[in-house]
Amino acid sequence: MIHSVIIFNTSGVPRLTKFYSPIHKSPQALVQRIYQLISTRATRLCNFLDAPELEEFLARGSAGEEQEKLRVVYRSYATLHFVFVVDASESELGILDLIQVFVESLDRAFENVCELDLVFHFDEAHHILAEIIQGGIVLETNLEEIDNCVQQASQLRKQSFASANPLALGGSGVGPRSAGLQTPLNWLTNKLTLAGGARQ
Amino acid sequence: MWERTLQDLIRGLRANKKEESKFIAQAVDEIRKEIRSKDMELKAGAVLKLTYLEMLGHDMTWASFHVVEVMSSPKYHLKTIGYLAATQSFGAETDVLMLTTNLLKKDLASSPADVAVSVNGLSHFIAPDLARDLSGDLVAMLNHSRPHVRKRAVIAVYRMLAKYPQASPYALTRLKDKLEDSDIGVVSATANAMCELVRHNPNDYLSLAPQLFHLLTTSSNNWMLIKLVKIFGFLSPHEPRLVRKLQPPITELISTTPAISLLYECVHTCIVGGMLESASGHALAETCVTKLAAFLGDLDQNLKYIALLAMVKIVPSHPHLVARYQDMILASVNDQDVSIRIRALDLLTAMASQDNIQSIVQQLLSHLVHPDAVVQTSATQSLNASLSGTTEVSLSPSKSTAYRLTLAQRILAICSQDTYSNVIDFHWYLSVLVDLAYVAGVSVGADIRDQLVDVVGRVRAVRRRAVELMVSLLSDESFIFKARDEGSCAEVLWAAAWVCGEHCGELAEPRKLIPFLIKQSVLDLAPETIAVYLQAVLKVFGVWTAELSQNWDDDSLPKVKEIVEEVIEALQTFVSSPDIEVQERAANALQLFTFIRADLLSYRPHPGSSSAFSEDPAYPKSLLLVRPLFTAYDLNPVNPLAQTAIPSPDDVDLDAWIVPPPAPEASQLVEKAIQENEHVPKRRKKGKGKAVNSTSSRAQGEDVTPVETSEERARREQARAERLERQRDDPFYIPVDKPARGPAAEDIDSIPVVHLDDMPAMSQVPSPTPRLPSLLRAPAEDTYASTGYTIDRDGEMPTDVKASPSTAVSRRPSSALTSVSKNGFAMPPAASFQEYVAEDEASKPRTPGPVKVTRVKRSGAKKRTVEAANGGAAAA
Repeated sequence: MIHSVIIFNTSGVPRLTKFYSPIHKSPQALVQRIYQLISTRATRLCNFLDAPELEEFLARGSAGEEQEKLRVVYRSYATLHFVFVVDASESELGILDLIQVFVESLDRAFENVCELDLVFHFDEAHHILAEIIQGGIVLETNLEEIDNCVQQASQLRKQSFASANPLALGGSGVGPRSAGLQTPLNWLTNKLTLAGGARQ
Repeated sequence: MWERTLQDLIRGLRANKKEESKFIAQAVDEIRKEIRSKDMELKAGAVLKLTYLEMLGHDMTWASFHVVEVMSSPKYHLKTIGYLAATQSFGAETDVLMLTTNLLKKDLASSPADVAVSVNGLSHFIAPDLARDLSGDLVAMLNHSRPHVRKRAVIAVYRMLAKYPQASPYALTRLKDKLEDSDIGVVSATANAMCELVRHNPNDYLSLAPQLFHLLTTSSNNWMLIKLVKIFGFLSPHEPRLVRKLQPPITELISTTPAISLLYECVHTCIVGGMLESASGHALAETCVTKLAAFLGDLDQNLKYIALLAMVKIVPSHPHLVARYQDMILASVNDQDVSIRIRALDLLTAMASQDNIQSIVQQLLSHLVHPDAVVQTSATQSLNASLSGTTEVSLSPSKSTAYRLTLAQRILAICSQDTYSNVIDFHWYLSVLVDLAYVAGVSVGADIRDQLVDVVGRVRAVRRRAVELMVSLLSDESFIFKARDEGSCAEVLWAAAWVCGEHCGELAEPRKLIPFLIKQSVLDLAPETIAVYLQAVLKVFGVWTAELSQNWDDDSLPKVKEIVEEVIEALQTFVSSPDIEVQERAANALQLFTFIRADLLSYRPHPGSSSAFSEDPAYPKSLLLVRPLFTAYDLNPVNPLAQTAIPSPDDVDLDAWIVPPPAPEASQLVEKAIQENEHVPKRRKKGKGKAVNSTSSRAQGEDVTPVETSEERARREQARAERLERQRDDPFYIPVDKPARGPAAEDIDSIPVVHLDDMPAMSQVPSPTPRLPSLLRAPAEDTYASTGYTIDRDGEMPTDVKASPSTAVSRRPSSALTSVSKNGFAMPPAASFQEYVAEDEASKPRTPGPVKVTRVKRSGAKKRTVEAANGGAAAA
């Protein structure tokens, strides 16, 4: 099972965190610890993070039963580190491939993905991740299939948004990078719909 | 005022990096207002912003009700926001989860898109109650017309089963059917979910083997093949026939697949699935190890890593195959990548044997000694790194404290495995321990201390060398100087003082050691170490003076006097130590030395008179005062079962109250009523009666009140009888059918006291350690062959337990007693080492039981395990 998926940048700022099982330390502490360890590693080292400093975070199960050790697998792309925390039922090399699949899916959805896409569309990134992993189990690994589902869901969200906000342009959803930026009109319509709402 | 969207919030965060917390506080205030709005769009926007802030570490549990509100929106784009927020923030303790049951039921019956969203959300936050209520709906989803929904449902059903296993009878068969789904994606997702199920209960899924086997031989999807191979790795240890069946296809995959990940997984499954242990497994094992070795030599660090990972698992069954690559593995410990180092350490720990332990440990020690050496060897790599433009400062792993600690602990673990079964040269091991104390630089001192004490206790032949080493440690000021630093390992001085004190018979010049033990700088050490130092002073002094007395010469008198004065002066400062243990030991020692001083001062040398009056020895008698205090019994490792092997005495009732608990209110009132009926007006007596009567009836016999007159006792007995009579039919009391022990039980003779009659008198104490004289008093160390060490692996057992079980028909048999009578003489699990020498069963005099018992208790604390040794630190 995959226990967490974490994306953070080269300064340690989280861009996406997903925990599929409860962790007994604060998520931020885990992210920081992993960041500290990864950021000091040279580029050509292996993609598995084993360090004595991580033990306290990764030991699972109570003292009585057999302690299961989790493994940290990561890959770095430009300014982002993609970190998967997995247990013994995942293949180490398989997870490396899966990270690649995830990144390629992001790339397809955002057209040449960069850190800013994840910053401003963190919800979209979550939706894409949800097409690959569900509840810690791998749902789909086929890139085409993932891309189709992402597109369909995004289309549905757009339609739903458009029908709810007939005057809005663009709106939420994946698309060209500028879609998230508000045009003056969009900005105005937002105000209008809000004014039409039941606010004081 | 305009509401911020998520984008505005993020822009604001980026613009206000300097006062981020202030900005966020303001934003959260806005969110709190917006989230209460009746406008769903606004509410959803607020929830989305909150979800973003949650990722940055801000609490959003307070908003969970609003999250549920957004989830219930009929608009798809809002619903997805609600479910996203729920997956990010809901946990097992989220109370609003119980409000979502109907919402989820409704969504599960809605459009395919809604179903997909809710099933996805559900697999994150499903709780036992939800799992129970929704199991039917989820299982029904397995037959949804869309593959996308089926595949999500498969995983959701797995999560549901994890929370609500009672659903398995009807859910599992449906889930298994999905292995034959028409859509490959659904089959793959099912295999993924099955992998989790199988891993936790392999036995329940053996029936799936044919289906899975069919998939394994027909599928070409690498991801699914990896999972299938994994599943068989979990299954085959539980079904030996699978091993034979699997060998052909897996061997074929190994030789044909181009995908390294699948190849590795096959090799891994061969190892963990036990396929190498069968008769035909040897060739396969050769193939696997060769493949792994190829990985190990690969430039790709990832392959190196996983090769080491898999080799650890192959070592137990095929150590000789792995041993061929020992040099490569040792080289991996030098890798600049700490992940690979740790894996290599694991592997080395697993493959350590008598043949290679010295080279392995030497290699590891060198890491601790020269942290920079590694950087030099990888100079070209670091040059490459700097050329390629990476700016990371790669810290040498040998400098990281956590890594050094791991390394030091590994060295200790490798050597102490199976009670030192790998160590053949204990002189070497002692020097490793001392070296480690010097170079570790991390707080591993306590572990080294325990090892030193343990080795010296178990291996007699090494004691002389140990004492020499420990004297050099004690005379080295450097430990004391940095005693207060982190990672100074000053705890080894505890062991040094203890070993020198306990085995001071081995000291070449006991007198010269004393000044090191009492110098002022010792005060910098930890109190428990100082206490051991003080104890060691006494022991060393005792042995020295006893030796002096053997060939007394009146010229020695000034020397003794001088030392005594010196010690007394030093002890004056220790007596005022703030630590109670040090204070007490110092005070004890001070009194002894003051007595010796008095005796020495009154001593008048009378040459030639010793032959005339044999009762009056030529030397001051106080010279023999101290030694017998410490040498009466040898301190041996104690078998962990020794305590249980001793039957508890018949007349000790461990369940009886020593101090009876205070009476409950109700019975006090009853008591009062009785006593008033009996017209006992005196308050004092009433109080006493209360205290006595309120004890549990079993304890009454023991509760002896010395001032009680026979009259009072009679009255008390009467009251008690009445009370028992009344309680007989009272449903609130549990009847006591055990006959009460009458006043006869107060008989003093029955009080269990350990008889110490056979304790030898001070003057009769035999000279220390009469056992194994050949080893102890060997003239030269060099005469031992390197394999000649005798390790006391099992430890001491009480000598008289054999006699006891026959007499032990106890009134209430304790668990310890039953275990003894079951096993007869409870021996430890048989040691499989040929070196084991049953220690002096015959030569040892049958010492009287009770005295032995107390000794066992005392020394038993610091044997065998590290934990035990820690606990017993103060005992010595």
